[in-house]
Amino acid sequence: MDKKKEGSFLSIISKSMRDTIDLIRSITAQGGSITMIQFEGVAKTYQSGKQEIHALNGIDLTVETGEIYGVIGFSGAGKSSLIRTVNLLERPSSGRVLIQGKDISTLSSKEIRTIRKDIGMIFQHFNLLNSKTVYHNVAMPLLLAKTPKADIEKQVKDLLDFVGLGDQAQKYPDQLSGGQKQRIGIARALATNPSVLLCDEATSALDPQTTKSILDLLRKINKEYNITILLITHEMGVIREICDKVAVLEAGKVIEQGSVFDIFSNPQQPTTKRFVRSVMNDELPESLLAQIQDAKSDNAIYRLQFTGNSVGKPFMSHVSRDFKVDLNVLFGNITELQGIPYGNLIVEFSGEPNEIKRALSSIRDSNIHIEEVNNYVS
Amino acid sequence: MSVNYEQILEALWETIYMTGAAFGFSLLIGFPLGILLVVTRKGHLLENEAVSKMLNIVINIFRSVPFIILMVAIIPLTRLIVGTSIGTAAAIVPLVFYAGPYIARLIENSLLEVDKGVIEAAQAMGASPMQIIFRFLIPEALSSLVLALTIAVVGLIGASAMAGAIGGGGLGDLAITYGYQRFDTLVMFITVAILVVLVQGVQSLGNVLSRTVRRS
Ligand SMILES: Nc1ncnc2c1ncn2[C@@H]1O[C@H](COP(=O)(O)OP(=O)(O)O)[C@@H](O)[C@H]1O
Ligand SMILES: [Mg+2]
Repeated sequence: MDKKKEGSFLSIISKSMRDTIDLIRSITAQGGSITMIQFEGVAKTYQSGKQEIHALNGIDLTVETGEIYGVIGFSGAGKSSLIRTVNLLERPSSGRVLIQGKDISTLSSKEIRTIRKDIGMIFQHFNLLNSKTVYHNVAMPLLLAKTPKADIEKQVKDLLDFVGLGDQAQKYPDQLSGGQKQRIGIARALATNPSVLLCDEATSALDPQTTKSILDLLRKINKEYNITILLITHEMGVIREICDKVAVLEAGKVIEQGSVFDIFSNPQQPTTKRFVRSVMNDELPESLLAQIQDAKSDNAIYRLQFTGNSVGKPFMSHVSRDFKVDLNVLFGNITELQGIPYGNLIVEFSGEPNEIKRALSSIRDSNIHIEEVNNYVS
Repeated sequence: MSVNYEQILEALWETIYMTGAAFGFSLLIGFPLGILLVVTRKGHLLENEAVSKMLNIVINIFRSVPFIILMVAIIPLTRLIVGTSIGTAAAIVPLVFYAGPYIARLIENSLLEVDKGVIEAAQAMGASPMQIIFRFLIPEALSSLVLALTIAVVGLIGASAMAGAIGGGGLGDLAITYGYQRFDTLVMFITVAILVVLVQGVQSLGNVLSRTVRRS
């Protein structure tokens, strides 16, 4: 065997061994089902003239099969750069992206085109062909794949019915509303029957009501077809509405990640807190704030957070009966996160400091999270 | 009047023939070049700095030579291709050298108008570069391409009249030989009138065509 052959033989062996290890790792990671998308130390640096822009700085994220995973961040945080590495619209400068355990950066351009058919994508500005009918837009991925005409007709009809545009097939995109255009985009993305759907700010150009209807459609796609969804957004409402998990991106780094419930009920980083507050409506009203600041200092004001089964416990009557304290509810709300009830109360405690202390510790014991409001406000 | 109607008709036919043939050949050269100009750009489908630079330089050279000079300068080449440097067929050669690079630029311009997002969507659905060019770029730009090519045809009509100056035949030849050199104002007037009508007609046709292909 000559040297050159041996070298390439060895490299093939080592590559396939590495692929196998990746695959086994991704299978064992999640009780038998394959991890859908895995970012491993993904970095992206753009060259802009003489300047280097570090859009992504070592991203590690795992998106499991069947999840709806949301990435949130302010404009310029690197969200688009991140999502675009999944279908190699952007190549990572370093690090790897694994799709179902497969390192996509080692694929040939032909293999990349094949894997892209398994990864649908929708866009903020829809990116439809304005010169083609709705029908033709949705049929395009099938035309590219040289699907027989009769099959195309049937599939496009089914897809348009699914997204609720069955009667608009012969219209042109510019005759339709933003929400309808995004539905065309979704139908087009589903035409190749993908395992993953990437959503790049898919609802950011839409009004709140339309946004909700599109999110409902995405949830339906996730449930009915078990399509894994990775979406990026700057709107926390979108995350709350449909995501299972969320990662917060800032300056190209993941600063916080976890289940939507955990992040919303207990955000750690300042940026995360800002995002959570933008939708949770648990800010104290201005007038109330002024009142608190004016109040006598011996009255203590606390924020109580209930989650899951602690909602609905009659703790107030217990506390006022068992301890010498008076409770005054200043503000409160209850919402739902991922189907779990989640409540927030701002309560003023008056009484002996010692009694208040005991009352608080008893409340803590019944799984209610407590925070002093003055800290919170500052 | 020093010419008869048959001569005018023949000159008109020569103009149409020169313009048409030159347009056909120019399109054959300019269309692929226009596409290449776009897709070899930085960050585009088939980014290639060397090809892009070279194309741009060559096209700019041809575009910067005035037609009347180009015509004279390539006479040896014209002789080589057509066998003579005089007559209608001979005029087509410089016209192609004039309009080919021009059309390449016009096509580049039209294709650049296509939303980058559309190309991205095409890439995301796994389209090959060829599929992106023929199924996305060109259909989306078609309406604007038709208008651009209309401009090219109008330009060619003007240039073909100039080709008459070196005995290329056509309306320009008629206007110069009879209208200018023999002071026949009527001939001059008629040829100019015919050219105006011709250009108007081409432009209207282009407008209508552009509108009809906007949606396909
Ligand atoms: N093609 C590019 N060339 C140079 N800089 C870029 C490019 N794309 C994005 N950037 C820069 O990278 C950073 C992250 O951008 P992006 O991923 O689009 O963020 P987001 O989607 O969160 O707004 C920004 O500073 C942006 O200006
Ligand atoms: Mg973005």
